[in-house]
Formats: sequence, structure tokens, C-alpha cells
Amino acid sequence: MSVARYDLNKCIGCKSCVTVCPMDVFRFDNAANKSVIAYPENCQSCGQCYVNCLGRALTIVNDMYGYALTSYRAATTVPMNRKAQAVIDRT
Amino acid sequence: MAKSISRRDFIKGMAGIGAASAVTALAGIPVAHAESETELVERVTTELPIPEAEAPAKTEYECDVLVIGGGFAGLNAAAAAADQGQSVVMIDKGHPGYSGLSPWPSSHRWADKEMGDDYDALRKCIQHGSEYLGNMDLYEVWLEESKATYERLRDWGILDQYETAKESGFYNDSGDPADCSGDYQGYHEKFYQHDRRTKFAAVLRDKGIEYADYTMVTNVIVENNKVCGAVGFHVPSGAIITCHAKAVVMAMGGGCYKPTGFPTGGVTFDGEYIAYNLGLPIAGKEFDDFHMTLSWAPGNAFLNNNWTYLDPLWLCGGDITADTAISYATTKGKVMVLDRVTKSMTGLAVTDGTGVEDMSQQDVTRRGGSASENPGEVRTGKCNDTMYKGDIYGAAVGFGAHLTNGVFCGLDDLEGKTSIEGLWVSGDGMQACGPTGAAYPTGVGFTSNYVSTMGNRAGKAAAEYAAGAELTKIPAERIEEETEKIQAPLSVEKGFDPTWARDQLHSIMSPYWVYIAKSKATLEATLTQIEYMRDRVIPKLQAASYHDVRMCLEMQHKILNAELSLRASLAREETRGLHFRTDFPYRDDENFLCYITLTKNAEGGMDIEKVPVKDEWKGDLTEDYKSRYTYYFPKELETLGLPAEEATGGWGGK
Repeated sequence: MSVARYDLNKCIGCKSCVTVCPMDVFRFDNAANKSVIAYPENCQSCGQCYVNCLGRALTIVNDMYGYALTSYRAATTVPMNRKAQAVIDRT
Repeated sequence: MAKSISRRDFIKGMAGIGAASAVTALAGIPVAHAESETELVERVTTELPIPEAEAPAKTEYECDVLVIGGGFAGLNAAAAAADQGQSVVMIDKGHPGYSGLSPWPSSHRWADKEMGDDYDALRKCIQHGSEYLGNMDLYEVWLEESKATYERLRDWGILDQYETAKESGFYNDSGDPADCSGDYQGYHEKFYQHDRRTKFAAVLRDKGIEYADYTMVTNVIVENNKVCGAVGFHVPSGAIITCHAKAVVMAMGGGCYKPTGFPTGGVTFDGEYIAYNLGLPIAGKEFDDFHMTLSWAPGNAFLNNNWTYLDPLWLCGGDITADTAISYATTKGKVMVLDRVTKSMTGLAVTDGTGVEDMSQQDVTRRGGSASENPGEVRTGKCNDTMYKGDIYGAAVGFGAHLTNGVFCGLDDLEGKTSIEGLWVSGDGMQACGPTGAAYPTGVGFTSNYVSTMGNRAGKAAAEYAAGAELTKIPAERIEEETEKIQAPLSVEKGFDPTWARDQLHSIMSPYWVYIAKSKATLEATLTQIEYMRDRVIPKLQAASYHDVRMCLEMQHKILNAELSLRASLAREETRGLHFRTDFPYRDDENFLCYITLTKNAEGGMDIEKVPVKDEWKGDLTEDYKSRYTYYFPKELETLGLPAEEATGGWGGK
């Protein structure tokens, strides 16, 4: 579960993601006026960047960097995974 | 896609894998997102190279009161100090309002005499529910001041009430109660002017408070037992940041090892680490918060918290009455402790994701709203949205019980004053031994109000002190020393990746026998592993960037927290609230109506002490066991030779 780029073209350079991320995932490219998802392995999937993104250039994907360990089985069970992704897809 | 991965070739280990999986996952998304086939083709999903970050224009500050941490406690402390006419600087590891736990409360609670709240009932409930470790003097402070706190936050716009997602139409009202989706971005855009997180920086600006964001404080500098400021670094650029100050309020929050469902990852015990190494006693470490997450989407904090984040803060209170004081506390114990203990221990089968809580079906007091029926009452409790229900343990392993963990300031302290001149601690994870004691019997919304109340007190006290104090600047050699410590991981040539170390630590600490159902054997086995990581891994953590430096330092703090919590758990040879020992499965009033403090001694070891709580907080000791305690852990009654209760659902019994 992490932030991912929906479309870099839609990034308007507002820097919201850089400002709101508590996990230091983003950097900003001044020359290109675009944010950069620099360290997604530290993303905690809180979604603050996603809902605050003014250009709607970001999304949240259900691929996970880590699990609550007891639930690994659930994460790899296809119907469950589909359920989670279905909720995201509807946004 | 190939380009995206090769760009990242220099990023070690997990980062490369992460980039690859993120891109792969995107392939499944466009159908739902794309407005047309053309858009699908033209979308750019690759990232630009990671750019160099500029150092901030200002790197050296000087002020009367430095507040570290921009959450509820820090904001209130900074505002109170500025209101006293002192110059105030705030340093935040993220950005005020969006960092730590401050973006995440769902609700806000206060006591209101005018609305008919029965303060004796409230006292009775918290004393019983905190299992007699609740600091009743601090609770009196809250009873007196919580309404003013509510009014202050309301006036700042943080408690703005607006349409809930359901009322607004942005919620997906498909009729399927298991479907809590909708247009998150649309809802946020429509009500952006009410977003409480934007109000934090606005309050700071209004009051002329300077702030340095994205700056991690690595040490508070103390000379001759007097505080002189703090040193840290601007994480994106690595620039060293110093702030000379007459007084310091540490409002740096708690932490967890790895956030997998509850988004508390920004706080990593930074303040606790600094305070412990300054020689201050740490307490409350044996009480772990058992936050649950979703078995069908583990590690997914957004699904767990999306509408909670976007909806207005629900106003709560007035739900505890003379008739319900004890049953309220008992229910909280059953739901927040026992139900989670039994689910964790039995290994709940995977659910299908239909477990949702529909608030609209609940009684108003069950939602945390007022029973008073006064016309003017605004405390209506949780909103009408449905929420996914976490069904497995592990959302934030290592996260301490609210308001119980942190620096122990003595039994008579009412403002977070430490034994170091000019140094205060405030907020969740920083100021130990709050009113909530061994559990959290207060109902939702207590923390955001309580830490704001205490932040206000600490800020006021620090300002009063600073008004009569001289500034002692941080000596240059101390800044050099801190700079070397910050930069050290960058020159480790062969060593360990902090991301690997974090995941390793999480693996060691997350089995249920470490924090949920403890025993001497499991705690000692875990401690051996932690000591190994402390001695063999931490000194060899390697950084390739200042982002990594932050991760390396955070790991150091997390390892200390693990050691503190394991040693405290070993010392408390009884069961109480959020501390369950399978080898001592009962409350032991004779030996453990106390706090357990851990203090760094001159040899670098940990001194562990028991500090008995005040007699008047202990309740009626002549009362029989089953009246004094009204929910029971597995094998508790059996061990004590008392008649067993019949198990109901997940509560009690096996």
C-alpha cells in the first residue's frame, strides 16, 4: 500500500504533497515544477497527499510494502485483495 | 516502466522493489480512473530523478520559548507562550497540522457543567476504568479547563462543523454497508476551507510564531542542568538547524515501529530518546495500545481512516452519567482491551471485508454524544458514517497507551515540568502518567482535548519562566558534536539499511506474545534480540541520503523504546489494563498500584523503580475484587480461586 503516480502531467507544482507528507516521501523538482515520489518505501499509506493533491496527479495503490504480520495470508488471498482494490478504484 | 526502474538503480534494496511494484500496480487502475482511452495512453506514471533539496534560508534561531513538535500539544503550547508576550519558535519534523498524530483524531471531548455533566460520575468512571493508575489530580485539571480548550480550538477553526461525507453526497451510498468508498478528493476539495490541518500554521502566523518545518530535532542541549536550546537538521537538505532558547517545551509525540494501518509513522520516540539520555525518568512503557487493522487490507491506513480524516471532528461528551459510570468503564475495558486480547491470541480467521460499524444504528451515548437532551447541546457524538472495523492486531505495534507513556514528572506535577531547569514535556507520548492510567476508559475524543489543555499549561509555564530567565546560548562544541552524530551514518561504508532494520524490528516486536499476551519467557527472548540489534545493528546503520539519516536516527529511537517497554513489562509482574501477563494473569493491588520508571544511570544501564500512586487515587481497597475489577483476563478468576464468568463473544473466557 503506497502512494503512486496517477499522471505526472496533472501535477501543477502546488507542492501540497511535499508539505503534508509526514514520512518524507516527496521531493520537489523546481526546474520541472513537479513533485517527485522519492522514497515510497517509507510511505505509510495515510493518503494525506492523495486527498490534498490539487491536480489529482496521485493515487493510492493496494500493493503493500509491509503487512501487519498475522494477515499475510489475507493479503495474498485474491478475493480479499480484489475487494481492497475495488474500494480504491471507485474513488 | 523499465526507465523508471533503472532511474532508481542507485536506491538500495526495498526502494527498488517498491518502485517496481508501484508501477506494476498502476496497470490495474486506469479503467476506473481514465476519462477516455486517450487519457489512458497519455498518462505519465514515471518519476523524475530525485533532485537535490535547497537548504532553508534561515538555519539559526534564537527565542524565549522553543516548542518542538507541531501537533495539538505543541500548537497550544506555542500559542500560550506567545500570548504571554514571549518570542516563540516551533520546530516540526513534518509540517504543523499534518505531522505526527495531529491529523488523525476523529473526535473532541470536553466536560461541560452547564450542560449538566455529573463530575462525580466522570471521576468514578475514570478511576475505575484507569484501574487505579489514573492521575486524578491531572483529571481535575482537565475537568476545570477542558471547556476553555474546546472554545479555543473552536475559535481557531479547528473544530469547524460542516456537512459529513454522507450528507454531502460524496460518500458512495450504494446501499451496500460494506462499501465505504466514494469521491474522497471531491469531498476534500469542496470543504477545503474547513480542513483543520490548515489552521495550525494559520494560528502560528497570526501570533507571529516562526516555525522551521521538515526539521528533525536530534538533541535538546542542557548545560549545568539548564536548557539552552536544541539542535537538529533540515531533512531534505541536511542543513544543521540550531535554536537557542531560554525555555523548551518538548511536544514530540510517541511513536511506533512501523505503521501498518494506523498512520502514526511520523512520530518515532524522538522526544523520549532525547529525554531518557538527558537522565529523565521514563514511565508507562508497559502499557501498549492494541490498535487493530483490517485483515483484508493490512498495512492500508487509508482504508482504515479515510472518512475519519475528511469528516469534521465529532464533538463528544456528556455520555457518562451517575447510572452508567461503572458500566461505561467496564464496556471500554471489554471492547478496547479484552476483545482485542482474545482476537489476537486466537488468530482470527480472515474476514471478507464486510465488517463495518454503522454509527447511525448506535445509541447517542454509544457514539460518544451527550445524554443531557439540553437544547444548545452540540456534543452529538460520532457522525453517521460507517467505518471499517479493524479485526486483527498490528496497526501500530509499539504505540504506547494514550497519555500513559513518556517522561515522569512526579506525582504533584500539573504542567509537564521536568527536573531540568527550563524544560517542559507535553502531549501524548511525552508527558507520562496521565488520567487514563492502565487503560483508556474516557471514551473517544479525550486525547486531542487533554493534550491541548496540557500544552496550554506547559506553554504558559515556560513563558513565565522565560520572562525571568537569562539566555544561555548553545556552546559551539555542542553543535559540532551533534553535527558529527547526525552525519555519522553517511560515512558508514559497510553496514545495514535502516529500512531492513525497521522491518526486522517490526518482525521481532509484532507477534502477539510480545505486547498482547506477555510472559517472562517471551519478554526475555525478545529482549535478547533487541539487545543484539542495539549493539550490533544500530552502530552500523548506513545512510546514502539525509532521508536515510532520518531513518537511521529513528531506528535508534525505536530500539530504545523496545528495550524500555520490554524491561517495564518484565518489571510489572501482574496484569492491569493494557498490560496482560499470562504468568501473572491478575491485578496485584498490594505490589503494583504504582508507576514503573526507567532511568539511565551513570554507567549507562537502566535503573528501574516503582513509584506508588497517591493513596487517594487507589479507590476503595476494602472493596471485593469483583467489584473493584469488572472485566477479567483469561485464567484470571481461576488463578484467584474466584467463580468464573461465562464468556460472551470475544470477551473473557478462553
